[in-house]
Amino acid sequence: MTFTAPRAHTDALRRNNVTVSGDPAGRPIVFVHGFGCSQAMWRSVAPQFEADHRVVLLDLVGAGGSDRDAYDPAKYDSLHGYADDVLEVLEALDLHDVVYVGHSVAATIGVLAETTDASRFGELVLVGPSARYLDDEDYRGGFARADIDGLLDALDANYLGWSTDMAPAIMGNAERPELGRQLTESFCAVDPEIARHFARVTFLSDNRRDLSAVRTPTLVLQCSDDVIAPESVGRYVHEQIPTSRFVQLAATGHCPNLSAPDELVREIRSFLP
Amino acid sequence: MTISGAAPLDRERNDRDAHDGAPAGTDDPYLELFEDAPCGYLETTPDGIITRVNRTFERWTGHHREALLGSPFVELLTSPGQLFYETRYAMVLSLAGEVREVSLAVRCADERELPILVNAVMVTDADGAPRAIRTAVFDATERQDYERQLLLARRDAEASEARVRVLQDASSAFGLATTAQELAAALLASAGSALRASSAAVLLADGSGPLELVEGDDITMALLPEGLEALAEQAIASGEIITLSSLAQAAAIMPGLDDALHRHRLAAVSIIPLRTDERAAGVVISLFGRDRSFDAESREIQAALARQAGQVLRRVRLQEELAHRALHDQLTGLANRKLLEEQLEAAISAATRSRRPLSVVFVDLDGFKAINDSLGHRVGDDVLVEVAARLRSVARAGDSVARYGGDEFVVVCEDAAAEASATIAERFREAVGRPLDSVPPRYDVAASIGVAVWEPGERAEPTPDFLLRTADEAMYASKDAGRDRVTIVMAGETDSTDLAHDPRAEASWEH
Repeated sequence: MTFTAPRAHTDALRRNNVTVSGDPAGRPIVFVHGFGCSQAMWRSVAPQFEADHRVVLLDLVGAGGSDRDAYDPAKYDSLHGYADDVLEVLEALDLHDVVYVGHSVAATIGVLAETTDASRFGELVLVGPSARYLDDEDYRGGFARADIDGLLDALDANYLGWSTDMAPAIMGNAERPELGRQLTESFCAVDPEIARHFARVTFLSDNRRDLSAVRTPTLVLQCSDDVIAPESVGRYVHEQIPTSRFVQLAATGHCPNLSAPDELVREIRSFLP
Repeated sequence: MTISGAAPLDRERNDRDAHDGAPAGTDDPYLELFEDAPCGYLETTPDGIITRVNRTFERWTGHHREALLGSPFVELLTSPGQLFYETRYAMVLSLAGEVREVSLAVRCADERELPILVNAVMVTDADGAPRAIRTAVFDATERQDYERQLLLARRDAEASEARVRVLQDASSAFGLATTAQELAAALLASAGSALRASSAAVLLADGSGPLELVEGDDITMALLPEGLEALAEQAIASGEIITLSSLAQAAAIMPGLDDALHRHRLAAVSIIPLRTDERAAGVVISLFGRDRSFDAESREIQAALARQAGQVLRRVRLQEELAHRALHDQLTGLANRKLLEEQLEAAISAATRSRRPLSVVFVDLDGFKAINDSLGHRVGDDVLVEVAARLRSVARAGDSVARYGGDEFVVVCEDAAAEASATIAERFREAVGRPLDSVPPRYDVAASIGVAVWEPGERAEPTPDFLLRTADEAMYASKDAGRDRVTIVMAGETDSTDLAHDPRAEASWEH
């Protein structure tokens, strides 16, 4: 990984565990993961852009190999905290005309970054976006407040599972830290404490008002049978962003980046000029 | 029931398996092992579409095989389970190849929820491509109850620990505060750490005056005129916490405030009144970056913080009041002699450092004794208050006006050489000489004024006492020369006893 960045900016790159690969002269494409995972989730998608793109992956603070010490609960109590980090990474690498690909909540994070400073964005690709997960009067987000509380319970109930998964993998390889790191990544490492807070911020935020301010050409990719972001939710995002195009994927579930990477790559490529 | 020969394995099974749908050809003991294993078993495509399911799973959930086959596994789960499945389970399974002992819940045919523990593996073909997911499901009903209680107990313990920590931290930070300003800063810090507020401000009402911003960031300041200040007044008047959980609620209560909040990337507001006694003396405004529900617990923490801060504020106000009384004249509210000496000392040091001139103006009232003697002390007091107000109103912004004794006032004017202080002193003389409201016209007062000007230079730094004495003597020179006039003396250039013969007596303005 080679990049030259002013020293002040290396903090952002370290904080978000930024990795850069592909063609240094190619158009930059930035992949950002959603709640519950890390940049590892792009492993079948990102390499397919390396031949002709400068591929940038990052971990949101609290996930994967990010710097957990950078976790400031007040800053990350809103998705703007994460959006500001994305902007800092783009600035640190001095990227322009960026293709931003955000999955799930990172789609909203991309929207917030774009509406804060659109100057570095060329295209937005929103994979399974939802600007509001809770039902609210006429709006159907798909979930009730009790469901989100239930998710927090599920996170707590599975807390032990997470840490026992992780601990032996890391400790058993003390002599070969690189192996431990690989395993950590492959397990989609997430700090449980932070995950709990991130779940609240993700599923209780309401960013519907932010959509209409987007000016960058945007692709809304909607999965079939997605219980997290049902079609009506994706269509709402599309209707609110004047510069957007809506594409329905054959892929089912919420994670086409894992279940149907080839279809995802095909749709992104056909959207790009 | 078509299985025969295996019945002794489970006496109750015949009763429970009273539905059909089980495959024929049950001679195969492995098939039976599969169908009636003591755990539910599912096989799905890598996308999670159910392709095989055993009888135990049917029995536990009440869903028929025909309905299950071809539908997504995730749709069997409760909503929270679906969220967890799609944001965590599916990813770990795909990336790590397996998940173990994941706690989920299945929606049964009769709407009952069945808590389950799940182990699953991703089966790959020879090339490593995912072929199927095999999932074992265990009934976790009993465990679930027990774990749920543990979980709730742990959360309770964590919440009360956090509450105690917040209040302890706050109480030690508040305890150190000696001024309202310091208390406000400590309050803001705890709003950030305890409430995760992204912006905050503390507004205090001083006596009956309007709310004043004591501490706060630019964003909160910008939003005050957009409706926050009006809400703060409301919170003070009612003594109740005001919360706006979302922009929609903000719009309903204060139209326009929602847009203003959104412009500053904010979505929720809480305003907590600070009570010092029976009435609220101020508010803490906290602003949040996303919707907040402000449950009973968070309101309780906010109320407790406000109570603590209110008590500290009362103590701080009392201390400030005592400190003020110790340094100010009760009648006129001007600085007293003690404060004057402190201010003068500081002014001398500042003048020495900056090498700028400093003047001390000594004002003595002519005709005051006559008023006091013939109209009484009360009227005398009124005159003093009126004169004090006039002196203050014509003094420059940075000048310190003090009551020195009975009818004597001293004004310390920094950065004022002879000419500037002559102008100032002349303004004092004119202000005092105008007819007073508090006495009949024939009881005029006038001012005899002496000014000591010190220009830092070759001579040593004077003491406050020396400057005061010099100005006092200049004032007597004015009195001796016929009252109602100003005498200016350069302090330190002449022996003050020779004042009467000082050629600078020309600098005396006569009227």
